[in-house]
Amino acid sequence: MAKLTPRQKNWLEGTGAHIGTASKNGVPTVIVVDKATMVDDSTVKFILSPKQIQLVVKNLNENPRASLGPGGIGSIRAAYQFKGKSFIIGNELFVEIEEIYSTKPGPEAGLRLDNLAYNDVLKFEASRWADDGPPR
Amino acid sequence: MKLNHAMKDALKIVGKGGSVVHLTTCSLEGIPNTVGERFITVFNDEYILIADMFAQKTRVNLNENPIGVITLAHPVKGRTWSFKGPATILQEGLPSDYEFEGVKASEILKEWGNWAEKEPPSEVPPDIRPPVLVQRGVITLKVTEITDYSPENAGNPINTAI
Repeated sequence: MAKLTPRQKNWLEGTGAHIGTASKNGVPTVIVVDKATMVDDSTVKFILSPKQIQLVVKNLNENPRASLGPGGIGSIRAAYQFKGKSFIIGNELFVEIEEIYSTKPGPEAGLRLDNLAYNDVLKFEASRWADDGPPR
Repeated sequence: MKLNHAMKDALKIVGKGGSVVHLTTCSLEGIPNTVGERFITVFNDEYILIADMFAQKTRVNLNENPIGVITLAHPVKGRTWSFKGPATILQEGLPSDYEFEGVKASEILKEWGNWAEKEPPSEVPPDIRPPVLVQRGVITLKVTEITDYSPENAGNPINTAI
């Protein structure tokens, strides 16, 4: 699994995510959750409403792949995409993040970050953004 | 299906009162991809257009699985809408009479093929503004389904007459 940086964790926890799911034959469905909790360095947890569970449970049962784009102002300031495997326990959706991409517009759009050395990702972030998460 | 005035107001660049959106596509095997997009508009009341600034994975996905979902990200202000429908990328070089889902590629490209000139990103903060805007084409989604994404109403159809 991919280890998230403090900045990535802070943004995911603070603004939640637009969560992309798909049926096994490739029809996407998106739910939006405005907060999240990191369970460990690579796993994020979202609390879902009954309607949200109803909407994606079939997809996730047949295809656990999920994509996460930070929500709210994170869609502007936190130019990341996270991908991984997901599962539901009770009313909680867990995503085990396996891939992290930069979505910063320009030449670094699509750059895969989790393949870089962890310290290099920290340097990458420090040289491009002044914040370490959403405004508190 | 046609979008209402409130939706058309939301599906604009932030500088004109609109929102940043997330565009979700997926591969044929079902691996989803969700990316933020800020250059957005509505065309002929039922098509949502996004500037293709070299969205690599999006292109690969749409080439094999031409369907997408657009969700408003920020600011939302109660506009918890999810738009789904067939999607593709239109760009120069297509046959002059090429049509996608009832719209001519040439009409879209004539108006939105050079987004930076039409809507310069002057409101974008310098640290997140791309150094040069290089546009390859126009991501085009015909809206065939609109649903609510708020937690309490997730998946409920939206009545566009509101």
